[in-house]
Amino acid sequence: MADLSVQIGELRLKNPVLVASGTFGYGKESAHLTNLNALGGIITKSVTLKPRDGNPPHRIVELPAGMLNSIGLANVGVEVFIKEKLPFLNGLDTTIIVNVAGGTAEEFLAVVERLENEEGIDAYELNFSCPNVREGGMEFSQDPRVTANATAMVRKATRRPLLIKLTPNVTRISDIARAAKESGADAVALINTLVGMAVDINTRRAKINTVTGGYSGPAIKPVALAKVYEVACHVDIPIVGIGGIMNGNDALEFIITGATAIEVGTANFIDPRTGERIIGELGDYSQRNGVQSIREVVGTLRAA
Amino acid sequence: MVETFDSRAGFFECPILSVNNLSDAIYLMRLYSPTIAKNSYPGQFVNIKVNDEFIPLLRKPFSVCRRDAKNGWFEVLWKIVGKGTEVMSRLQSGEQVNVLGPLGHGFTISKDLELAILIGGGLGVAPLPFLCVELLKAGKKVEVFLGAKSAHELAFVDEFLQMGVEVFITTEDASVGEQGLITELLIERLKQKSRPGKVTFFSCGPTGFLNSMIRVSENFNIAGQMAIETMMGCGFGICVGCPVRVRDPQPGERLYKLTCVDGPVFDAREVILHG
Repeated sequence: MADLSVQIGELRLKNPVLVASGTFGYGKESAHLTNLNALGGIITKSVTLKPRDGNPPHRIVELPAGMLNSIGLANVGVEVFIKEKLPFLNGLDTTIIVNVAGGTAEEFLAVVERLENEEGIDAYELNFSCPNVREGGMEFSQDPRVTANATAMVRKATRRPLLIKLTPNVTRISDIARAAKESGADAVALINTLVGMAVDINTRRAKINTVTGGYSGPAIKPVALAKVYEVACHVDIPIVGIGGIMNGNDALEFIITGATAIEVGTANFIDPRTGERIIGELGDYSQRNGVQSIREVVGTLRAA
Repeated sequence: MVETFDSRAGFFECPILSVNNLSDAIYLMRLYSPTIAKNSYPGQFVNIKVNDEFIPLLRKPFSVCRRDAKNGWFEVLWKIVGKGTEVMSRLQSGEQVNVLGPLGHGFTISKDLELAILIGGGLGVAPLPFLCVELLKAGKKVEVFLGAKSAHELAFVDEFLQMGVEVFITTEDASVGEQGLITELLIERLKQKSRPGKVTFFSCGPTGFLNSMIRVSENFNIAGQMAIETMMGCGFGICVGCPVRVRDPQPGERLYKLTCVDGPVFDAREVILHG
């Protein structure tokens, strides 16, 4: 049996398979459908300072090999999260990463400061990349200076590992990853969704309420891999790979390209057991290829 | 034959027992799953992955249309509206599909109910046969109202008649029943004849139709339950993609409920539907 454990800065995961924020609720929703303790870790739905109702319908539309969403960070807010959601997560035998979102750097800081009083949180993932919330104007991680400023601000408030979740909707994602690293991030998680759009030709309306939304699913995997490759080539920081991962093969593509861990996202909607299945497939791959530890595979992409 | 109990509760590899083309527009599939057949109640749904491909990507939700707990099957009804339902219509008996279910909160049959008015707009008839069986079992009086664009989009008329309930029909093209909308026929009858005792309507159909039913509930002061059709991502509450607007949220209450876990059946006076 190969060793699947990995290390992201100070954060040790029993295996590299995480579930992506916004695709797994607060864990409990899938507890009757899958073995949560098998996962390398759970990344919660984004938590903001105040509760958010989210966007009006229609929030999602299916597209070929993908989907477009505009949920609008609907969440219970940090107080209810601590009171009602965190105790369940604390009872699990897996790593708990709280995804934090906000409209300003100060809001990110305020949420993290509030969570610092609570036990059972292993790390934070800062969502600098939600494309569906307007008040921020733009996604934080579209600008290296904004990314650096907000990362540094939160870094001062916590010793827990910090993952910065990046948007692919930029010219050079490695510039943003570097800004995050230099401001104290332990890892970067990429990619969040691609900004996308779909139109109903009969009604001549956009198919989702906010017109544009976030495109996810297997269709975006090639884009995600290319972004992970770019960061891996240019910045020395642990990478968590995300984007259209449906199976062990997809996960391994990211790991070989340079991701230390991966997040399963849209696939959870079809089957929340996908992460569990991928863990098994990583074990099988390791055995077939004489791999002692999955860490040996990270970043082993050969020159073309 | 077995349903493969696909690891933990909820997921089943269900053998297809039959696929029937009820008309050139409507299909009915019978699936083998003793667990789903036994555990579901009217108004609940199942979420079906129609193939193992990425197109279509997501599961597709279907009302449990009928079930036979003794023989271990349930049925789903659909018309082709997109890729998922098109793939479904080409499946054949002997094949299998992965089904997640039963899901959601269905209809409530209260003890003091005397008359149940079942009203379906188009394919909104889907959850009503199962509901009708359970209502009759509970000793309730049932009237059924079915509306469709045309005769070939009507289903289960004979089955309701065989159950001995009164059936009213309208079609927009007058190909069968009265010409017009089924909500208009219902309103006409509600005006003509008062119905003493506790009356509740149970409806399912497109948004415009359900909005009419909300007005019926208000104007005639009749309790109503509505099964909502909407785009869904997951069916069990993790994608948060199927919001329904709450009509008068109380302080501290959410502005949106989720069709998949809070519904798909809602009280007619509880929600606002977007067109």
